[in-house]
Amino acid sequence: MTVKSLWFNKPRLVEKVKKFHDHLRKNDGKIGTYHRGIELNYNNACNLRCKYCFTNSPKGDHVKDFLPIPKLKEIADEADELGFLEWDLQGGELLLRPDRLFEALDAIKPDRFYLYVTTNGFKVDRKMIKELGKHGVSRMSVSLDSMDPEFHDEMRGRKDSWRRAMQALEYIQEAGMDPYLNVTVGHYNAKSQDLRLLLDYSKKKRYRTLVNVACPTGMWNQVHDVVCDDEDIEHIRQLRKEYKNLNRNLWNPFDPKLEKIMGCTTVNRMYITALGDVLACPYVHIKIGNVFKNSLKEISEYGFRIKHFRNYSEKCLAGEDLNFIKKFNSTPGKTIFNPVNAEEIFSKEDFVD
Amino acid sequence: MKNKSKYIDIFITSLSIDKKKFNEKLKYNEIPEWDSIAHMTLMSGLEEGFNISLDTDDIVDFSSFKKGIEILKKYKVT
Repeated sequence: MTVKSLWFNKPRLVEKVKKFHDHLRKNDGKIGTYHRGIELNYNNACNLRCKYCFTNSPKGDHVKDFLPIPKLKEIADEADELGFLEWDLQGGELLLRPDRLFEALDAIKPDRFYLYVTTNGFKVDRKMIKELGKHGVSRMSVSLDSMDPEFHDEMRGRKDSWRRAMQALEYIQEAGMDPYLNVTVGHYNAKSQDLRLLLDYSKKKRYRTLVNVACPTGMWNQVHDVVCDDEDIEHIRQLRKEYKNLNRNLWNPFDPKLEKIMGCTTVNRMYITALGDVLACPYVHIKIGNVFKNSLKEISEYGFRIKHFRNYSEKCLAGEDLNFIKKFNSTPGKTIFNPVNAEEIFSKEDFVD
Repeated sequence: MKNKSKYIDIFITSLSIDKKKFNEKLKYNEIPEWDSIAHMTLMSGLEEGFNISLDTDDIVDFSSFKKGIEILKKYKVT
């Protein structure tokens, strides 16, 4: 019998996951300059109006732009060659235009990647999930703010969004995909009972929980009091031990002891906008290239010449490191579509020779 | 299997399962703790514990506790 699960049925992906795993073993559990994932904002249109949206979608920012399919094919082929193993398709809300989403999936060829779609769940139904499964989606990540429906709906700017998100997770699990509950944790809720209720629920339902720490970017640009302090971060690390289905992108996913921190994944998980700009990560709105002008290899090499992105950081630069945030990631007016250029914000000393 | 108790320990630790829940009939995906993501943690635990490097095909074929014993023989873990 062969292990059956959607991503285990992708031989090329298993090979890449194994290489990534071997790299971490040899590199003391640290990610270094390994290519882990592509996060693509394929289109920024959304049906919700989230108070802390990092893409400024509620303001209607570039909601009509899509990354052209021929370019997407080219990027996907190069990403595979470079060993990128994950692909996070996000928006906006991509399920608003399923025709365009399926077209994008076909261009990416998800049999090569652990491909997931990040969604608010509002438009998810059984038929949609079945189609996404057919198109090679391994995981669906549904964002949830609270176990309190009213609070979630208020944060999301639309009634019934909590119920639909919860329902979406059920459908995803039922279809055999990996259901992820994405939760944003900031200083305001890190130690709250509500967070515990969310984690308990996810554990009980056998979902996985992805913690994204609150970042003062997008709609929260310069709102520094949302950032977790050291006590909050230590608390989240303790929760990792308690809730073994809990994950953060900077934690080593293969550590059986649930302790090792792989390091901040700026550039390792680069963020591409619908305009082709490449940012160091979804929350560090610093541009390191553009896919219409540079290859991914060139962009990666350039990005990793910047010491802040190259060197190991136990802290998430965008959501935990207040020095980095205040010095480099708090420029007024910057957005994912109007990022700061790396060569402008960093000085010569910030680059490796 | 000489290393059986070590093998069992790695299973229990890597999959974070209750000792009482462990049995030698364990199969992939039959318990919530052994899903596709935890599977890689288990492989990692075995590689570190026995100082081996598993081939990709063996990682995919590693579908049960018993199958694992067969696979490990290839790596001279008996």
